[in-house]
Amino acid sequence: MGRFIARRLAGMVPFIFLVSITVFVLIKLPPGDFVSNYAASLAASGETVDDSMLAEMRHRYGLDQSWPVQYWHWISGVAQGDFGYSFKWQQPVSSLIGERMGLTLVLSFATLLFTWAIAFPIGVYSAVRRYTWGDYFVTLLGFLGLAIPGFLLALALMYAGITWFHQDVGGLFSPPYVDTPWTLARVGDLAAHLWVPMIILGTSGAASLIRIMRANLIDQLHQPYVETARAKGLSETTLLLRYPIRVALNPFVSTLGWVLPHLVSGSVIISIVLNLPTAGPLLLQALLSQDQYLAGAFLLLLCSLTVLGTLVSDILLALLDPRIRFQ
Amino acid sequence: MVWQPVLATAFALALCGSAAAAELHEAPSLAALVTKGSLPPVARRVPTAPDVVKPTASVGRYGGVLRTAFRGDADQNAILRIVGNQGLTRWTPDYENVVPNVAESWTRSDDASEYTFKLRPGMKWSDGQPFTADDITFFVNDLLPDPQFFSSPPAQYVINGKAMRAEKIDDTTVKLIFAGPYLGFPRVLATPLGQHPVLYEKHYCEQFMPKYNPNIAALLKQSGQPDWPTLFRQKCGDIEIPSRWSNLDRPTLDPWIISTPYSGNATQVVLQRNPYFWETDTAGNQLPYIDTVNMKVISDVQSIVLAAIGGQLDLQVRHINTIGNKPVLAQHADQGGYVLETLTPTDANAEALFLNQTDKNPKLRQLLTNHDFREALSLGVDRDEINDIVFLGQTKPWQVGPLPADRFYNKELATQYTTRNVDAANKLLDGLGLTKHDGDGFREYQDGSKVFLTADVMVLDPASIDTIQLIKKHWADIGIDVGINTEERSLFYNRGQNNDYDIDVMPVPGGLDPTSDPRGWLSTHTLDSRQSLPWVAWYQSGGHSGERPSDNMVQRLALWDQWKQATTPDQADGLFRQILQLAAASFDVIGTEQGLTTFGIHSKKLMNVPNSMPSSWNYANPGPTLLQQYYFAP
Repeated sequence: MGRFIARRLAGMVPFIFLVSITVFVLIKLPPGDFVSNYAASLAASGETVDDSMLAEMRHRYGLDQSWPVQYWHWISGVAQGDFGYSFKWQQPVSSLIGERMGLTLVLSFATLLFTWAIAFPIGVYSAVRRYTWGDYFVTLLGFLGLAIPGFLLALALMYAGITWFHQDVGGLFSPPYVDTPWTLARVGDLAAHLWVPMIILGTSGAASLIRIMRANLIDQLHQPYVETARAKGLSETTLLLRYPIRVALNPFVSTLGWVLPHLVSGSVIISIVLNLPTAGPLLLQALLSQDQYLAGAFLLLLCSLTVLGTLVSDILLALLDPRIRFQ
Repeated sequence: MVWQPVLATAFALALCGSAAAAELHEAPSLAALVTKGSLPPVARRVPTAPDVVKPTASVGRYGGVLRTAFRGDADQNAILRIVGNQGLTRWTPDYENVVPNVAESWTRSDDASEYTFKLRPGMKWSDGQPFTADDITFFVNDLLPDPQFFSSPPAQYVINGKAMRAEKIDDTTVKLIFAGPYLGFPRVLATPLGQHPVLYEKHYCEQFMPKYNPNIAALLKQSGQPDWPTLFRQKCGDIEIPSRWSNLDRPTLDPWIISTPYSGNATQVVLQRNPYFWETDTAGNQLPYIDTVNMKVISDVQSIVLAAIGGQLDLQVRHINTIGNKPVLAQHADQGGYVLETLTPTDANAEALFLNQTDKNPKLRQLLTNHDFREALSLGVDRDEINDIVFLGQTKPWQVGPLPADRFYNKELATQYTTRNVDAANKLLDGLGLTKHDGDGFREYQDGSKVFLTADVMVLDPASIDTIQLIKKHWADIGIDVGINTEERSLFYNRGQNNDYDIDVMPVPGGLDPTSDPRGWLSTHTLDSRQSLPWVAWYQSGGHSGERPSDNMVQRLALWDQWKQATTPDQADGLFRQILQLAAASFDVIGTEQGLTTFGIHSKKLMNVPNSMPSSWNYANPGPTLLQQYYFAP
């Protein structure tokens, strides 16, 4: 086990290096650069800048150098913990992403727990009570959850909240707690706001997990080992929990690694609609304006966290299912 | 010497006189600070003769938080629009004239090349430092000509290739000198881009300039900035960059000053009253009335609409004002406790078709440079249908021309070829030799290849997409096929810069105050004079690069150069009228509809908001309606 983890950790270094190249190339791939985008955004709102100023900005930001030089400049900084400079915000990148990454992690983790809490009992129920009215009902709910786009659910919830309950459901903090230092009261306020995005983000994930759980469990329920256990006189609940569910649980654990990229990329629209101060909206803005070091830092961090998440889920899988070996 | 806005100045001076005699009042929060001794009394904070503002409707009361929303991304100018661009001059609320603002008055020399500005004695920056002629000479003589700060000085301060100079006469008098006549200067100073001379407090900002701070290297090292101009802009800002609103220590002349800064992380930007603000109302109350401005960052437009419906916004004039949002906002006005105000259009056209006259395809170029072809395309458009479907019948057919309310209104320019006439259009196209048709009825060149145009439109401007889709249908009747290329904004501008388009569809400014943005009639705008961008390059390089424009355009550009040299308003206006007449004869850009009257919302409790205001960038609304005199009714 120790050797396995060490080997995987060592393998991550060249992998993340390759990721960083891919990320950088992808960010640079669209035509134009930050400066031409900046000029376009000003021109589109009827505002003007002159050419010499653009050339000067390009020089100041080092955008007139070749790609490899820019890449080297960036990655050598990253290796020393300096993520570079955001052109748009005239700030070091690290000061921009800190709190947003933190809130993203909190939201992702809460959503993951919510997804599991919903999907696990419902999946088990609908597998064990297959083809009953109860199964049909939760299956219908599950498909609805899969089919309704998250941003639409978000807009509908916000509209309902405002017109009927006269309450704002956007954001992660109520007005008095925005931009205040962290206190216990602020954490409480965060918790009070977290459930709306948690439900919206978790719905589609939960729906698919319910289906996976149901299918896996149905496969197991008629295996000979289940019959054997039943013949030995185990109660139904003990039997279910001890054997088939443990086997059917694998997909829950193996999704752990993907949950972060899914939440960040899949939730951009929802985060924008709900006005969440998470990584998604800032990443999207950075990509659109080709603020390359800011976007690069986000993508690199997300990829690293995904790689770590996959490792954690692999270890958990091995612990959970003795059939899996560290080969 | 000519007194520029004689009446306005005399009026302001008369009012100042009476206010100075009257007792001054201040906000309770500031009065408390004065009692505590941490702030000088109000009479020592405002100029001896403060700028007296006549409220829109009534003298107000102090207090309250103004809540408004803006989008986080590239929307820093929303803050500028709320606090207002406090330049030496400002627009009258109706956007017709300019009156003194930061300056107390000004005079113009007879040849219009020198302006002498009188400043207000005793006026202070928001940090309590005196505002004097030195602050203006600091920008004009130190920053403006510095090649590291501006690799070339911004065009609004350059005449005959030379940047303006400043001469300090005494602490409150400064002369700005140009290399030639510059009649438009006071109007430029009233626009956001003309705020530079009074943007930087010398006392604070000089520490970021090597000329004044020999130890700048230490500061650079400490801040991690690459060079002094970057550090300077990060600390002292520039007109349109985010960092203007992110340094809490930057002294300003604005009614409110930043207390929660704007950054990539910001979920809100908060501004507090400037205790040294230099304006009072007619009863001697120091402005602003409102204590705090709270600008919430909401990136999604629909969410801003929802916030308005929920009564969470006291003032919103940006982003929500598309025609599609009007019904839902009107319906929920009671619930949200707001009323709608009118935003009058200032555009010369709601959506115009710029035909690229230097198209890379030689056969198309021959057609696009032909007046008859452009006329036929215009006659083929059913503007009534576009008005009904895209603009819900709220506007009317229009070419690219100044609005009837403007002094440059030209009936021919604005209304020629706006009535649909398919027969006449077909006749014109036949006359161009496009007589062959393919199986679908579309016209072909003599060599049998199809006449095909591509129109580029931006995703973020849905009206342009709807408009061109209708036009595609209309043009099918005259045998012209057009492909629609919907793209992201940056790609749109990239293709423009690379001259890779046939038609670009976009709104054109200049319906009011057309001389400040004549891109629709003169190829002068680097990014958006899309009659042809190589023409712009030709004009800007003095004929060294780009392509020589059409003879008509060359003539117009020559008149434009004369316009810049004019020494009397009559002479200047005459020249500009000639330009518009030539543009009418050449008919370069096809217009569709007049700019649309839109709307904003404000809380029922928010007083002194005018019922209507122009919507424009040069008149950066709502700023020029003077938000410092808005107040909340109890």
